[in-house]
Amino acid sequence: MTTAKQLANFQWPWQYDFPPFFTIQPNVETQTKQIQAWCELVLDYQKHIKSYAIDVQESLSSPLFHNAKIKRKLPIDGVYLVLNALKDKGLLEWQDKKMSRALLMWRSAEEWAKLIFNWAERSGMTNTVCTLYELQLGNDVKKEEFYEIETWVLKRALRVLEKKGKAVMFDIQPNDNDNSGGVKFLS
Amino acid sequence: MRRRGVGGVAAINKSKLAKAKFAEKGTEIAETQVSQMSQQLEEFRTKLSDFAAKHRNEIRKNPQFRNHFQQMCARIGVDPLASSKGFWAELLNVGDFYYELGVQVIEVCMATRPRNGGIIPLEELRVRLTKAHGKTREDVTVDDLSRAIKKLSTLGNGFKVIAVGSQRLVQSVPVELSMDNTAVLQSAMDTGYASIKTLCDEFQWPTDRARRSLEQLIKEGMVWIDSQNASEDLYWFPGLFNNEK
Repeated sequence: MTTAKQLANFQWPWQYDFPPFFTIQPNVETQTKQIQAWCELVLDYQKHIKSYAIDVQESLSSPLFHNAKIKRKLPIDGVYLVLNALKDKGLLEWQDKKMSRALLMWRSAEEWAKLIFNWAERSGMTNTVCTLYELQLGNDVKKEEFYEIETWVLKRALRVLEKKGKAVMFDIQPNDNDNSGGVKFLS
Repeated sequence: MRRRGVGGVAAINKSKLAKAKFAEKGTEIAETQVSQMSQQLEEFRTKLSDFAAKHRNEIRKNPQFRNHFQQMCARIGVDPLASSKGFWAELLNVGDFYYELGVQVIEVCMATRPRNGGIIPLEELRVRLTKAHGKTREDVTVDDLSRAIKKLSTLGNGFKVIAVGSQRLVQSVPVELSMDNTAVLQSAMDTGYASIKTLCDEFQWPTDRARRSLEQLIKEGMVWIDSQNASEDLYWFPGLFNNEK
């Protein structure tokens, strides 16, 4: 659960206090701007609370979509508009058919892939095998942005590299959260 | 019979001569006046030029001084801003000041347009411009901004200062605001929003008239609707909304 303390130093955008931000706008151009601003807010918020998962029902009453101070709530259709816009950007994956839960990446798999591959090249890790665990929690990556990356995000990023022929993965388990296995980066 | 003075040939000749002499004298006087005047003008030009050269920095830096200078020029029928290539502008080098300012006004308006839909209070524009340009732009007054914006209007439709009640707003989108639209702006000036009820109360409008004007403003992207207010829908101008309030 998100606590008030966690959000104490979160920088809300100006729109968060702007009452009509919580009403889906009838003007198409204005609505596009509005959804874009919501997408950015959702990503910033999730990044701030370090969460990769979003539950629609729970989020409706969380500070993200509910500003108690000005008594405004983004209605559920609005929340779906925003989340599906994130899906279209490749940053969100629904976990079930009913679309009640989703996984959210505040950086796309392509961007993570680039960061990881740059690191591998820089530190001479190409053509050797690294374990997924080393990439997540190894001493060599402590200063990297992908340190402590969630397993499922890491796997998606590595899959991007594999498709491009820049990496080969070994002994990878189908379960999203199982981090056993390794990867070889190709120079 | 005694003849009166006029009539004789000698008298006629005498009068002709006098006329010619008067004309000659007249030309002479006019010539002196013209030469005196051009001398004066020359002197004035030199003085004004000296003055401008001497106080150029002052003109650019001190808003009060600049304002006085503008007034002085207006009083003697000189518009130093008529054109940057004009004689006065070159001489005084103040045209550039307003051109630079104009460019900065465009920058701020473009940067804030996504948020405010092209409507910004003149005072907010001044504050943002001052912040953006730090020390070099400390002393820009709303008067300077109005002048600079007036010059921008020569670029075609788009930039203009509109008076709303006692306050002034800068409009940076080429939308022709109707009288009713401006009235809506006026109603929203303090709170940031208007509603059908407040408009009907304030201007004795029928409901349709208020709704039509608001819908027009929504269509132009200048107004956002808030349907979660308890009593009735509110129509907000993001350009007039201020978080700090």
